[in-house]
Amino acid sequence: MIGFLQNLIDALSLGSLYALAALGIGLLFGILRLTNFAHGDFISFGAYALIVPSLEVTATKFIGNWPWYLTLPAIAALVVLLALLSDFLVFRKLRQASAPTLMIASFAVGYVIQNVILMVYGARPKAIDVWSSLQQQVVIGELRVPQLQLVTIGITIVLMLGLSLFLNRTSYGVQMRAAAEDFRMARYLGVKANFVIGLAFAISGLLAAMVSLLFVSQTGTLSYVMGVPLMLFAFIATVIGGMGSLIGAVIGGFAVGFVSVMCQAYLPEELRSFRDAFVFAIVIAVLIFRPSGLIPTKALVQRV
Amino acid sequence: MNSPLVMRQIREWWPVLSLAAIVTLVTAIAIWMGGDEIKVTLTEMLIRMTVVIATYLFIGNSGILSFGHIGFMCIGAYAAGWATCNPAWKQLMLTGLPAFLQENEYPFLLAVGGGGLLAAIVALIFGAAVIRLSGIAASIATFAFLAIVNSVYSNWDSVTAGTSSIIGIPQVVGPWEALAFALVSMVVAYVFQQSRYGLMLKASRDDEVAAKASAIDIVKVRLIAFVASAFLVGVGGALYGHFLGVLTVDIFYMGLTFVTLSMLVVGGIGSLFGAVSGVLIVTLIVQVLRAFEAGFKIGGATVALPQGSQEIGLGVIMALILLFRPSGLTKSREVPWPFTTRDARPTAAEQAQPAE
Amino acid sequence: MLEVDNIHVNYGRLQALRGVSLSVREGEIVCVVGPNGAGKSTTLGAIAGGVTPHAGRITLRGQSLGGLPPEAVARLGVSLVPEGRHVFGSLTVAENLRIGTFQRRDRAAVAADFERILEHFPRLRERLQQPAGRLSGGEQQMLVIGRALMTRPRLVMVDEPSLGLAPKIVDQVYDILIKLRHAANLTLLINEQSSERVLKFADRIYVMRGGRIHLEDRAANLQDGKAIMQAYFGFADGTGAPPPLSPAPTMKRAAE
Repeated sequence: MIGFLQNLIDALSLGSLYALAALGIGLLFGILRLTNFAHGDFISFGAYALIVPSLEVTATKFIGNWPWYLTLPAIAALVVLLALLSDFLVFRKLRQASAPTLMIASFAVGYVIQNVILMVYGARPKAIDVWSSLQQQVVIGELRVPQLQLVTIGITIVLMLGLSLFLNRTSYGVQMRAAAEDFRMARYLGVKANFVIGLAFAISGLLAAMVSLLFVSQTGTLSYVMGVPLMLFAFIATVIGGMGSLIGAVIGGFAVGFVSVMCQAYLPEELRSFRDAFVFAIVIAVLIFRPSGLIPTKALVQRV
Repeated sequence: MNSPLVMRQIREWWPVLSLAAIVTLVTAIAIWMGGDEIKVTLTEMLIRMTVVIATYLFIGNSGILSFGHIGFMCIGAYAAGWATCNPAWKQLMLTGLPAFLQENEYPFLLAVGGGGLLAAIVALIFGAAVIRLSGIAASIATFAFLAIVNSVYSNWDSVTAGTSSIIGIPQVVGPWEALAFALVSMVVAYVFQQSRYGLMLKASRDDEVAAKASAIDIVKVRLIAFVASAFLVGVGGALYGHFLGVLTVDIFYMGLTFVTLSMLVVGGIGSLFGAVSGVLIVTLIVQVLRAFEAGFKIGGATVALPQGSQEIGLGVIMALILLFRPSGLTKSREVPWPFTTRDARPTAAEQAQPAE
Repeated sequence: MLEVDNIHVNYGRLQALRGVSLSVREGEIVCVVGPNGAGKSTTLGAIAGGVTPHAGRITLRGQSLGGLPPEAVARLGVSLVPEGRHVFGSLTVAENLRIGTFQRRDRAAVAADFERILEHFPRLRERLQQPAGRLSGGEQQMLVIGRALMTRPRLVMVDEPSLGLAPKIVDQVYDILIKLRHAANLTLLINEQSSERVLKFADRIYVMRGGRIHLEDRAANLQDGKAIMQAYFGFADGTGAPPPLSPAPTMKRAAE
């Protein structure tokens, strides 16, 4: 029982990461129909921004050395900047483009970011120590939970509440929701297209930055491909949850986190390294029965 | 030779005949002019051409983007490698292989066929599961497929030697062999796109609702294309293994996916001409970038681009093409018939081209 | 107030508008009538900034609207209610109404407008917090008109307000439009397929077919409907008239 509860908290913590990443992706998809394959590389960028550019194996922290109330906004600002830049340089000119074109474009953007990181920081993974004090465990009854996991879950709840408040109670939020549902009509009513889109990229960047910080604290490693599995799982989360639905993205994220942790915990020893394959197989099984996801929206259904 | 029937046949097959001629010519000239290094580059290019054409067969006709084809290349490569590499080595290193593979050494062509077959079987299973997804979700699923193949193959040590390599694969693939397979895949792709299935698939690409209303079984048609495409990609992978002589899992991941996709995008994702020309052009671009990375001696100093410029350069070029010529340099059209004829009616091939 | 001067719009290789000119004076109700595919929606779309003409000029009170994005045109006081209503189904009725008001600075006036719109459309007041997707067709049409009015427009363009609605509901919609014209000092430009309704309602009428304007006149002069029918169907001088039906060969054989 204790073991199960322990795993449950693991699942919530991992699921939170995936949910945050999925939210960042789902937001851009909802408003722009953009599947941003570069999102994982936004996350990598946020993590690498903590250290001084070098090819060394041990990372020298730069921004990573500042107190958390400075590091957080600094990394957030940098990733937001990257997101806005990628919109300005690439995605802005592809507003009317087809879905495959957008997909390849975002893949290209991500690939370039990855290789820039590779060029500047080298291919070897680096060890980094960020907020490792949070690895200390908190004792709750009979459970031993690393502080970091509680922080992760906590931050995720705060961010989701914040996003929800923003979308439902502020004028910008209402405009974003309107734009997500019917972009053209929103513009006819005076909603400023580029502003709303910029806002979406900014929020997406903010979420990516949070994921990068939490992920780096948990794993203690930097690698130029670190964002790829996160991006993939986040996308799978949105697909399971139902593309076009933010709530679906969150639910999908927690679902994928749950399945992943359970597989890790309960698969027999020899099969454990194939955990990701199992997660994927389970996802496929879900999709066979519900191809439009757990919470389908009208976003993808073509009206005849 | 000038009989109208023969001329009409030539015109009907012109898109693929012209490409076959061009590629054969390029191959012949390169072999005649260059040394061993050129042969290596050439062989690799022709193997990639097989893979890119096979990928185009699915993506170009169905309109669904797939990021997973390199996963099939991996499957095909390893399957063929298992068949032809030294049994003694296999029994020592790949203890998980089934007996019929472990104890025997099979001829090259059989191995290639086996590679394609395994890829096709996996494609059938995977495809059947995800083909019902919307285009975007399906594309995401193919991306995940690539990652899964990479993960499984990296970890299944007893069968793939995990993160180390399979060695000792007979290197029987040179430029001429690769050319032969590239030509075959050209013909297969062309025959497919002119066939009933190709037509139905293109209809579903252009207007899914109308296609369904015309009693086209979209699921079946997409699956057929997906499996056929995977077979050919698997064949390409088998060729690749028998060209390198050594196999590791990490060569079949992001880098190769990006390069092959960029070849399709630069050339034109919707036509065979696009696929072939994309391979030729991007290979050239990569060679140029590689030369810049190696550097030139200017007055005693070496001027060179930093490592990694190749990939970034290719990424930038791909982005530029998407921004300014999204249908590729060929505008996704086939090779145009160069002569004017008295017969003004377009052939079936010309009629099948996209309207813009 | 609004001058559309010889605009040409292409969708790819399809010529949707081939030199369309029209004008709307302040306070008028102008209706554009024509069959499906005539280019009526494209014309409104071009004025509102959603579609860019590759030739011609559009001016609003002397200011050129050329190249302006839709949100800028909206800010200049032009409000488009497009075909098919387009409510934001997942937003509440109240949110729908407010969506156009965020660019306005005069918050007190916005609140006053809100009240006034609800007085005109009492059914909406009952459903303020409901998601707009749950409203009936007629209620949605009221909602989108109210939504457009909340931007305090000078010119309201409505694309086929009667589409998909029962005749009684359409009557209500038109009643409200007339009331509002006086109450809110509006200028109206309306697309319609049915010339009957338009004759009772408009000050001036344009008839459009095949991307061109074929007739323009005051509604008073067109009351017998003949001129409109000719322009609508193209029988005017024999050109464009459908060919006479000839008996099918099988029928002939049967008759023999």
